Amino acid sequence: MVFEDIYKTHWKRVFRLCMGYVNDADVAKDIAQETFIIVWQQLPKLRSDVALVSWILKIASNQCLRQIGKENKFPKTDLLPEIPEAPPPEIEDKVKFLYQCIAELKETDRLIISLELEDVNQSEIAEIMGLTPSNVRVRIHRIKELLTEKFRRYE
Amino acid sequence: MSNQQDFKALWNQQDANAPDIKALYKKANQYKRKSIVKLVLTNILLIATSLFIGSIWYYFQPEMTSTKIGIILIIVAMVLYLAAFNLMIPLLNKIGSEMNAKEYLQKFQALKQKQIFLQTTMMNLYFFLLSLGLALYMYEYAVRSLPFMIVVYALTFTWIGISWFYLRPKKIKSETLKLEELLHKFERINEQFKGGE
Repeated sequence: MVFEDIYKTHWKRVFRLCMGYVNDADVAKDIAQETFIIVWQQLPKLRSDVALVSWILKIASNQCLRQIGKENKFPKTDLLPEIPEAPPPEIEDKVKFLYQCIAELKETDRLIISLELEDVNQSEIAEIMGLTPSNVRVRIHRIKELLTEKFRRYE
Repeated sequence: MSNQQDFKALWNQQDANAPDIKALYKKANQYKRKSIVKLVLTNILLIATSLFIGSIWYYFQPEMTSTKIGIILIIVAMVLYLAAFNLMIPLLNKIGSEMNAKEYLQKFQALKQKQIFLQTTMMNLYFFLLSLGLALYMYEYAVRSLPFMIVVYALTFTWIGISWFYLRPKKIKSETLKLEELLHKFERINEQFKGGE
């Protein structure tokens, strides 16, 4: 598969994963671009038995964690998204609220739930994260409960 | 809004249009250029300085051994600094992309610590060798006239004193604070990988 096709096909998933992690469109775009730069560089070395999607999402997750070395670049608001300074158009409040809730979780939980919402199966999530499948299952369950609870209060 | 399907539907509504791929190539090139420019500049600067000092030896033929030792120390300081600088830059980019998040974080933490250690140690060594080299180097020329010697050494040692006892501890303190904060963050996330195993 040519890199440009990979980029077009997978950009959305990578961007959303980063967005779930930082909840800031500009920073998410940066991390997503850094991810694809690595994908571009490493693609020729990719073993044929490695699943492409999982591989890309693994790089993206690692790039998100790498944000730790940078200064606190993404201040997050604790309150509901009333009207941010520069509201991206056509995104509904509920979508914003979901991303905000996710970005407030613990770092690893942010990645786990984002991968789950991207339809990555749980054993692959476990593989990407370096956790046991049972641990991933329990955590997804807990995170969903928490999100449901937040949404109940929000509505 | 309470079932999984709804979260997925909301999640997928996030606007996520891919920027033009050219922007990506441009960014990749910018990264590359930026690190190369920094590498080349530092190398050129320090190599040129070393050559300049070396040429003093060649053209002025210092007589005292102290001057020669001084010149060697200054050059050694610069070479060591360069070696550390050149080793450090690619260090953080050498983490495998095939690691899982848990391993990646551990590896990243280890490298970050190594980088900071190298930075502080090399900085101290560089500064120490440079000061010592300079003091030895100047001796031959300063010893020829006492007032000149007093002024030159007073100025030099004041500079060394300020750097060593004021600037250096200040820098180390702020680096240490940053490092502690960083390690704290690493610890917090590492802890998350342990939960429920």
